[in-house]
Amino acid sequence: MSITSKRKVVREVTLVQDPARESCYTVGHTDADMASWFGDAKMSAAALREKLHRHMNNETGALEIAAQCLADFPDAEWELRMCLARQAYDESRHVSALYRRLRELGGFKGEFPIANFEWCITNLCDSLAARLAIQNRTFEAGQMDLLGTLRNTWRAVGDETTAQVLEHILADEITHVRFANQWIRRMVTQDRRLLLKVAIAVRLLADTNVALAAQVGEVNAAGQDVGVKKNLGNIAVNVEDRRSADFSDDEIQEILRQNGMSSIAATQGQ
Amino acid sequence: MTVREKAEQLGTFRWLEVFGMETLARWVPTTPEMEVKVLFGRHIWDLAQHADTLGKRTFELRAALHYTLPPVEPYRSLTEELSSLQDTAERVYGFYDVVVPGMAARYRGYLENTDDLLDEPSVRIIQHMLQDGVRMRQEAELLRKELTNIRLIDQGLVQKWARREAEVNAIVAHGSGVALARGAEA
Repeated sequence: MSITSKRKVVREVTLVQDPARESCYTVGHTDADMASWFGDAKMSAAALREKLHRHMNNETGALEIAAQCLADFPDAEWELRMCLARQAYDESRHVSALYRRLRELGGFKGEFPIANFEWCITNLCDSLAARLAIQNRTFEAGQMDLLGTLRNTWRAVGDETTAQVLEHILADEITHVRFANQWIRRMVTQDRRLLLKVAIAVRLLADTNVALAAQVGEVNAAGQDVGVKKNLGNIAVNVEDRRSADFSDDEIQEILRQNGMSSIAATQGQ
Repeated sequence: MTVREKAEQLGTFRWLEVFGMETLARWVPTTPEMEVKVLFGRHIWDLAQHADTLGKRTFELRAALHYTLPPVEPYRSLTEELSSLQDTAERVYGFYDVVVPGMAARYRGYLENTDDLLDEPSVRIIQHMLQDGVRMRQEAELLRKELTNIRLIDQGLVQKWARREAEVNAIVAHGSGVALARGAEA
């Protein structure tokens, strides 16, 4: 039985069961299970280590998703499989780099709870195009936005070493998003039915995000009100890197609009 | 070796590399230890590159692009058995102490039997693959030193698997491929 055929239910949402993790980890399923800090506490030493720890597990998840695509789609075009194999290698190096930095800052595996949301939802999809749409084109593209901001967050606290780690990861992620964008277009052109599968996957992700969203008053593992973070502002859309990742101007405008930046979107289109 | 025999050899080697890549890919999410996932993830790319260069070389030898020939049945059964291992230590020892050195022995055998000049492109590809295999085993050894809990309970397993691997003298299913004409399905 494939690992992706096992299911779990979280708040009445059916997801794929988590991938294997060591016993040192506490595996959470929602934001409330995680330890993250907001406001003045978000730049504390523990909060910074938690960011690295969370990122390390997310990169582990990205490695697992790319590897699972190789295992589940042996008949995919060879050139696409090469891209996935390269991604697995890149994500492996990201995990190692983040783990090295975490240890340099006094952290350790299992110091904070983790969650495997990306794995649990991406592997619900039975087509490679849909998995690429969710994992690479949505999650990894979102991470490009996040890293565009985070590298400066680390610089602001005087940690150029971590900022450089994130710079290098960002460069790799652009490549992963770009090949996904290019291959999704190619696959959809060859088989128009895939467009429906991609659309269903994107809708599934949106619906699941709503169902699992933190509620105001819900307290996380660090004692923080997780509902509050929704009011702390959005991550800036990384327009330049999204262009490098082969998002079209129309797609970037749409993302900017969704992030409440219609005026910038209008400028981008000029 | 004739050109056709060389293509069949390299097509079989390509099957081994793809098998290795897919096995490690299946093991990444199902192995708990993060450092082991990372090791497997790194080597997925090595194996993919080997398969890629072999697949291009088969085309130069008048077979199909990415021509891939499954090995003879006893060898296939052993590889399937090894790929179904569940325990982390068994996976690490089985892959890096049996599969990788087993492949290296086959590759060295090819180098001993081919013409260094006429088949030089294949020779260079295989020499590069052998170097990668040495590095992969070194990385696995470093990991075992770092994670001391990755230890085989049954120390005889590696010898047993290696003996079975070596018992299959010729792994190429010569003459079984229908893809030795360009344009045919690989």
